[in-house]
Amino acid sequence: MAATIAVKFYGLLRGRLRTAAVEIEGDDLTVLELLRRAEETAGRSFLDELLDREQGLLTGTIILVNGDNVRLRRGLETRVGAGDRIDLFSPAGGG
Amino acid sequence: MTGWMGKIVKIDLGRRTREEVAVSDALRRAYIGGRGLGVRLYSDLCPATTDPFADDNALIFMTGPLTGTLMTSGRYQVISRSPLTGTICDSSSGGHFGAALKGAGIDGLIVEGRAEAPVYLSVHDGEVEIRDASAFRGLDTQRTQKGIQAETSSKTSVACIGPAGENRVPFAAIMNDKDRAAGRGGMGAIMGAKNLKAVAAGGSQPVAISDPEGYKELTARLERIVDKNPVTGKSLQVLGTSVLVNIINAHGMFPTENFRRGVFNDAEGTSGEKIAETLLQRQSACFKCPIGCGRTTRTRDKQGEGPEYETVWAFGAHLGISDLTAITEANYACNELGLDTITMGSTLGCGMELCETGAWKENLRWGDAGRLVDWVTDTAHRRGIGAELALGSKRLAAKYGRPDLAMQVKGMEIPAYDPRGAQGMALSYATSNRGGCHMRAYMIGPEILGHPVFLDRFSSAGKAELVALFQDVSAVVDSAVLCRFLQFAVGISTFAEMLRTVTGLDFSDEELMKTGRRIYTLERLFNNRAGFGRGDDTLPPRFFNEEFQTGSSRHRRVQLEGMLDDFYAMRGWDRNGVPSPQTLADLGL
Repeated sequence: MAATIAVKFYGLLRGRLRTAAVEIEGDDLTVLELLRRAEETAGRSFLDELLDREQGLLTGTIILVNGDNVRLRRGLETRVGAGDRIDLFSPAGGG
Repeated sequence: MTGWMGKIVKIDLGRRTREEVAVSDALRRAYIGGRGLGVRLYSDLCPATTDPFADDNALIFMTGPLTGTLMTSGRYQVISRSPLTGTICDSSSGGHFGAALKGAGIDGLIVEGRAEAPVYLSVHDGEVEIRDASAFRGLDTQRTQKGIQAETSSKTSVACIGPAGENRVPFAAIMNDKDRAAGRGGMGAIMGAKNLKAVAAGGSQPVAISDPEGYKELTARLERIVDKNPVTGKSLQVLGTSVLVNIINAHGMFPTENFRRGVFNDAEGTSGEKIAETLLQRQSACFKCPIGCGRTTRTRDKQGEGPEYETVWAFGAHLGISDLTAITEANYACNELGLDTITMGSTLGCGMELCETGAWKENLRWGDAGRLVDWVTDTAHRRGIGAELALGSKRLAAKYGRPDLAMQVKGMEIPAYDPRGAQGMALSYATSNRGGCHMRAYMIGPEILGHPVFLDRFSSAGKAELVALFQDVSAVVDSAVLCRFLQFAVGISTFAEMLRTVTGLDFSDEELMKTGRRIYTLERLFNNRAGFGRGDDTLPPRFFNEEFQTGSSRHRRVQLEGMLDDFYAMRGWDRNGVPSPQTLADLGL
């Protein structure tokens, strides 16, 4: 079985992609590389929901790698590998 | 002054008297309106030892200078001493009722005394009339609202209580415009104690605007800002507040089975995404609100509003229940009976753990969705097991010898964010002036959602300063009065501009922040007089002593004491949490 990285979509992303998750084959990717591959696999674009025009994280975007926010690591340059789980949330709020 | 109607009416239900209460321009400037002015008026009228259910207690309905004007300004605040906590309390509700009170020609209503038999107050074009409400005794909130509209006008906005308020359940809500709730702190029980079934408001008094041209421009600009913001312009509209279920669960801090775990395996099935797929009929919006976070939903047999995030949690993960229909129908029952869903659900979870440990010989079991509506109904009527649940978690757990199992601060139940997953939120809960509430300083913004900046949720560095700042801004927003969700799109400068445009007063950012600080400190002074101090600014022992073994908040505990010292220093309070004479002088208190 190929080593994969699990990418989970929530909220508005899920509605846009009409899927809750994709599996990406690969290892030792940056989060940004992973997201681009996830777009290809899902067959629809979604990065504009998470990133600004300069390819930085939008205020409110949450990307978790195994539950930890990438903002506390190296942001979109954080490296992920086979067996990791990535949770993607576009900006959201409530209370 | 524009913005304010210039009229606050005091009604004594026992003596059946009414008088106008003079409020100076200086007092309006210092406390704005809503929560701030309401707490000022309440503190001047009632000693901190006042029994919330006594005839001489005051219950204050307040609007603010922005009420009925710019976007999200339909809200109102209710202020009194809480029967649940004994602290000062203000409870906020959306809908249209706030705007209707202003349209009826008044800024606020102070209710004292106790009527012999049930009455309601009809406020119309500046006149307040006491009317017989015997026909509505015992009726639920929906029938009460319809009945009073039939007696007055279909355009009347009605804020009322249901059986829970009449029975003085200390977490009874006031419900208005069908299903909007002034939920927290038991303000509905005080209405019940006064035999005040409802307040009905209507009329067509205009709110004067200082700068009509600026008002038009600001209105258009705010609409653009809110529309462009991904939270207010998209997420809240499509998914409502329950979008948080998956987010908070993924952070391992979605309180499960009375805060014993931080990950609920069935969270997905109770999420905002799932509600949108299944129960959602349409979104609903309050007065002049372009966001529309409300959810009009339908189950197989019933229709209503909700559930919101907190309610999904309180009747869901907190009780180990994943049946979305059962959760939603328990929410409908709370709306109809007039109960705060957070305290209701949290008390049930406390009860379930009490039963599991054997401390309480009752048959409350985790995951028992089938009896939810019965428990809620029995609580509102104080019958059977409901007579015990109506105590709220603090009194219930104390009665059965396990006070540690009540997940509360100062008697108010903590909502749906486990504080072990966000240190700033822990401090926010501990120092909230009305007890375990997320609305005084919503640290989930920076610690989880990344609004307005992103902070490390497990670090306590810098959190005290931000908690104090958020508490102050929130006090301003609650006094203006606006919806807190506007804060996802705009900040203090915009609130100052909104106030300037409507009132003509040159509020600066700095003055508003100081106003927020004044209001927060005034509330603290009241609580100090009521006997609250450092020892009460704490959390249940579970958060200091127990760790989650799974999820991304595992192996974490709340580190409160250092943050509390910093917080007191930041606020100019002494080590016991009492504002210093210098602080009081600086704030004009």
